[in-house]
Parts: sequence; C-alpha cells; structure tokens
Amino acid sequence: MNSPQWVLSTFQLVVALIAAAGASLGGLLYFRRVRMDRPAIGRFNGRDVCILFTLLVILPAFYLLVPRWALESLLVITYMGALSIGFQPLLRPVPLWLGIGVLIGADLWLGQHALGTVFGWQVFWTENSLIVMLAAISVANLYVQGGMQLRHVAWFAAGLAIYDSIFTIGFPITNLLVRDFVGYPLFPAMGMRISFNEAIVGLGDLLVYAAFTIAAFKAYGRKALRVALILILVFGAAMPTLSGLLINYIDARLDVIIPAQTWFGPAALVGYFMMRRRWGRERTMKEYLASTDVVRREPPAPPAIPEEPTPEAVSKPVSA
Amino acid sequence: MFETGVRQVRLAMGMVWGRRLSPENVARLVRDALGTIEEFGEPGADVGELIDGPLEDPAARKDLANRGVQRTAARLAAQTQFYERRFAAAGVKPAKLDVDALAAIPVTVKRDLVERPEDFRCADVPSYLTTRTTGTTGRPAEIWLSRYEMDLWSAMGALAGVLRGEIGPTDVMQVNVSSRATASVHLDVAVCRLVGAGCRVLGIVPPDESLESLTGATLLATTPSYLAELETAARQRGMGPADFRLRTIDVGGEVLSPSLARAARETFGVDNIRDLFAMTEVAPVTGRTCRQGHLHFDLNMGLVEYLDVDSGEPAQPGALATVVVTPFFPFRDCMPVFRYDTRDVVEVLDGKLTCELSAMPGVGQLVGKADQLVRLGPNDIVTPRALVEAVEALPARPWPARFRSTVHDGRLRLTLPFSTIGGLGEAEAVAHFADHGLDVDLAFVSDDEATSLRPLRCDLHETTFAGRPAVIGA
Repeated sequence: MNSPQWVLSTFQLVVALIAAAGASLGGLLYFRRVRMDRPAIGRFNGRDVCILFTLLVILPAFYLLVPRWALESLLVITYMGALSIGFQPLLRPVPLWLGIGVLIGADLWLGQHALGTVFGWQVFWTENSLIVMLAAISVANLYVQGGMQLRHVAWFAAGLAIYDSIFTIGFPITNLLVRDFVGYPLFPAMGMRISFNEAIVGLGDLLVYAAFTIAAFKAYGRKALRVALILILVFGAAMPTLSGLLINYIDARLDVIIPAQTWFGPAALVGYFMMRRRWGRERTMKEYLASTDVVRREPPAPPAIPEEPTPEAVSKPVSA
Repeated sequence: MFETGVRQVRLAMGMVWGRRLSPENVARLVRDALGTIEEFGEPGADVGELIDGPLEDPAARKDLANRGVQRTAARLAAQTQFYERRFAAAGVKPAKLDVDALAAIPVTVKRDLVERPEDFRCADVPSYLTTRTTGTTGRPAEIWLSRYEMDLWSAMGALAGVLRGEIGPTDVMQVNVSSRATASVHLDVAVCRLVGAGCRVLGIVPPDESLESLTGATLLATTPSYLAELETAARQRGMGPADFRLRTIDVGGEVLSPSLARAARETFGVDNIRDLFAMTEVAPVTGRTCRQGHLHFDLNMGLVEYLDVDSGEPAQPGALATVVVTPFFPFRDCMPVFRYDTRDVVEVLDGKLTCELSAMPGVGQLVGKADQLVRLGPNDIVTPRALVEAVEALPARPWPARFRSTVHDGRLRLTLPFSTIGGLGEAEAVAHFADHGLDVDLAFVSDDEATSLRPLRCDLHETTFAGRPAVIGA
C-alpha cells in the first residue's frame, strides 16, 4: 500500500539529505586529510569532462544490452577499483582487500537472498549505500585531486541536467532502468525502503555533490564551501524531493522519478559563475596544498642516526 | 588526464615494439607535463620511471639492450651500405645479435664517417639537416639528420627537461655554442619553443657581448672553455651574483675543472652546473654527471660499452676505457652508427654506486680523448683531465687552460704560456703540479702562442658589428 505523497516526499527528503550530506562531507573530510597517488603526468581538463559525459550517455544502453552476469562482473570490478584507489593511502593491503571483499561479497549475497522482506531490503540498502558512498568519495577525490576544477564540475552538472531531463521526462530510459535493476547487487545508488516505497539517490548525483563540495573548497576555501553545501542541500536534495508534492498535485502519480540534476545543474553553474566573479580564478592544487585549509600531519621525527653526508665530487689524476 | 594516459601508452608501446614514435605525441606530452606542473607544482611520484625507464634491474636492462641492438642492426643491414658490408664480413645475423656477441663486429671510427659518409645514410629516410662536428680533434665529420629525428629529440628533451625541473616557461636560455653546430642549436631552440621558454642564440661571440645579455638569462648552454672566458670577463668587469639570475649552466664537449666550476658558481651565483656528455655522431644518446662526479648515460636510447683503451676488450673496473655507443632505432633514423668509438675516455668504476642516479650504471668523469692521453710508461698514463685540472688550479686562474703535453726521456714536459703561472717562479709551479700528482718539466712560450698550444671550442670565434664603427652605407 502506498503512503500519502507528503509522507513519501518527507522520506525521500530525509534520504536525499543524508546521502548528499554524507557524500559531500565525507568527500571533504577525505580531501583535507588524505593525498592520493597521481600519475607522473596528467591533470583533469575539459576534455576529460566530455569523455566522462560520453561514457555516462552510453551507460544505460550497456545496462540494457549486456547479460546480468557480465553487468555484475563489471560492477564488481568497478567498485573494487574505486575502493582500492581511494582507500589504499589509508589501509595496508591485507585489511584493504579484506574490507573490499567483505563489503562487495555481502552486497552480492544480500542482493540474491535478502530481498523478500522490507527489513531485508533495508539491510540491503544500508550495505549498498555504504559501498556507493565510499565509492563516490573515492572517485570524486580522484578527480579533484587529479586537477578537476569547480568549473569542470559545474559544467558537468549542467550537462547532466539536460541529460536527466531528456532521459527521465522526454525518453524515460532512466525510469525503466531504475524499475528493472533496483535490487540488483551493487545497484549504483544510495537508498532506503519503508513499506513499499523507496527513496533512491544515484551514484552519479552523489559523485557530483562530493566533487562540487571539494572542488569549491579547493578553489576558494571555506567561504565557497558554505555556498556549495547550501546549493547541494537545497537544489540537490530538497528541491527534487519536495517537487514530488507539486508533481503529484498536477499529475496525481506517486511513482514519478524526479531528476535531481535538473534542479542542481543550473544552480551549480550559476553558483560557480558567482563565485568566480566574486573571488576570481580558482586555486590550483599546488596553491591549495600551500594554504591553511589542509590538515597536515605532524612532521616525522628526525632520524636517530644522522644521515651520511654526500661525498664531494672528487677529481684526481688517473693512472692506469 | 585520460588523454595523457593514452599518449603515455602510445609512447610506451612504441618504445617496446621499436616502431617510429610520434614526435607530435611526445610534444603533446610536454604540454601535459607543463599543465601538470602548473596545477600541482611538480610531476607525480613515478616520474623517474617515466623519464629514465624501469632500468634498475640488470636483467631488464640487458633485455632492452638486446632488443635495441637486434632492431637497429637489422635495419642498418637493410638500409646502409656500410653496415650491410660490415655485418656480412663479420658473419653475423643482425636480427639475432645480442650484446654478448658484439665483439665480433669491429667498432666504427670517425675516419669511416669522414671518408664514406654516403655509405652511412639510410636509404628509406629523407634528409633534412646536416650538422658538422667542430673538428677540434681533426677533420670534421658531416652527419645528416631527418626531420623526424630533430622533432623527436627536441620533444623527448623537452619532456625530460620539464619533468626534471630543468626548464620551464619562465626560463630564458642563452646559447653560447658555435652557430655552426646546427643540430645542437636547432635542438635548444626547439626545446625552448615546446616548453614556452625564451631562447637567445648568440654563438661564440666576444664574451663581453654575451655578458650583457646573460644578465637576463636563467639558463646558459655553452662549453667549458667559453664559460671560462665568460667568467674571466665578468670578474674583470666586477660583476657578481647580484648581476645575474642564472639558475643552471649546462656545459659539455670539453673537460670542466673543479676550479672553473667553483669560480663560475661564485661569479654567476649558480649552484647547478651540469657537466653533460653529448656528441653529434651518437646523438641522441647523452650522459649526465651526478653530484658525486659519475657519468651516467641514458640507456633507453642506446647501448653504451666501455672498451679498454689498450686491448679493445670490455674494460675491467679501475681501467681506462673508451666509450662506444650504439644509438637505437627508432631514436636514430637518418645516418645511424653502430658501435661508434667516441674515443672519449672514462674510468670504469668498481662497486655499487650510492649517488642520486645510482639506478643507472655510472662510470668516472670523462678524462679526455684517447688520442690525447700521455703515456709515460706501460702503466703510467696522464689524462687530459689531470692536466686541465692542475693548470686551471694555478693561482693566476689561467682559464681556459692552454698547454701542450709531450714526453721527453720518459718525463712529462708541459709547455705553457708565460702568464699561466702568474707570479709563481718555475720551481713553485713545478711544486704546484707535484701537489696535483704530476711530475713535470715545464717549458714556456709567449702568450701570443697560447691558442696554438691547444685548440678549444671557444676558439671558434664569430664576429659581430657590436663595438665596431658603423659600416658606411649600412
């Protein structure tokens, strides 16, 4: 039995706020304290945004075309990669891979065996949400610590706004995907269920929120962080969910999927333009790392044994 | 970031498969590297492996060398008359060669290049630019280079330079090498263009003219003898570190003495004076000197052998050896050489190195040309480096060192210009050389004859109109 729309919207609001705040603040905490390895050459640029966007556009087709075993295998590899990259700097190899194995293994098991009851769904969603949030934190940091700037995130969100509008409202492929694949192991979303109602926030949305938060913080510091969090909570969490009330008033349907980026994308872009106008160009990673916004670890204690001095270059007549 | 990854894979695959690389791809990597440094301040942690290759493992080094030798030999046998004959005469199958069997192939010497240059040209490559050796050690050799080579070397050089922090967009490089060294000058200009740095090519002009523009440069590329002239001119004009903003001086082609290096550091305010090995005939294989004074060759682009100066066999630790270089295809393209005997002599070292470049094999510093070694007895050799260092350490600072060394009755006779010993008497000068391990008899000539004693690269003077009366009608 479906709940009244205001109950459902409130439930969705709570889930969306928890998910958006969790990914954003978790990403920020990681960003301030952990430095990821990066390749010798390369930084994130506008073309990388285009590549990401292209991948995103073809992803739904991939979901629909490949068999389930292949899809799940791909998801396992993807999550293993994301989690291992993100948490390698924090954990030694054994606990790292043990943790990843337990998390993913439990998700696969719960997705196959626990979905017969509401409680089973709730356990599955809790476990799945943890993996998805950790992956979002990890990948957002990979991008931003790799040089992704606030303008890249803002334009990416704006692109997603158009994409989401088209494929949710115009051609409802996203709706089909959610209905067909929800409950699959490693479903790429955070969510929760009460009764027969579910509230879901997609991995892509979480990735945008986390990246927007840390890119704003990297670019302009705490003042921009406050702006970013307000935009995320209002336009990324509150507006999409509360708009369900309006849509229900007009449409009388209760199962409408509301594209979050349709709200957040324009807000992110306008927010970025305002920040750039007010505070100028974004800081580079080098400038950010030199700032007081970074949480620094205690410097290592000096070695007990003095290091050997470097020998002077000696030149002598050579006789053989 | 994704594109950069693809470019790095393309470069790596090209090197592994031994196919021609794309200079444009490497040039794009230079831009990526500049962007990386702009964003992060430095390249990522594994930059050393990217520049110098994963060559700490001797087995990996040998495997790379074997593949490079086979690839290069097979191509040379097919494309050049000289090596077609040479490999046939040696009875070897080029595609099956390995580094342990190279002794069967005689080394290539400069006379071969001078007498039969056309026989070294690869038939499948269009020529682009010719460059001549300076001829300070005899008749110059002419080397043809392809457009591909020039574009590739400059891109590879720029990439390594940017990643090592040796050059950046805010730098201005002053080039004081002979303008006729076309390849060297072309490469310096191209590297600066790729990096976005400024480049001022002056050539071997009067030192006072160079000094005026040197005040704005951050990098100086020159030879030790011209550096000596610059240092002397700067000192005479009362110039010091405050007058310059140089951060690096690159020298090569001659022996750099510690006395001159120390003086240049003091006068120009430069900590980093890099003593490099580069030679037209074996380009693009180069060597760098580490802080402990070892010479380390780049092993990605070629094979470097050290052959005993007397026996021609692989040299043992402690022995003097001539450096024999084989640049690999696809890094050398138009007029390659195989087992080229540079006649540059080094001391082969014993034991494990502990310097900052210890991942790459190293040898002692260059001690001079094999033909300029002074033999006092079967086991008693005096090197040009020993003589240069001793002469340039004299209190009169007689830079660059001018001398002639000969052997009379088993004793070393050193002929010097009078001014070299300055206020010292002959006995004091002899004692000075004894302090440097040299038991010498001294002879003197007038200062006017100084340049005839020992030709140096700074003698390749180029004239200008600066400081002269204006040409009427010009």
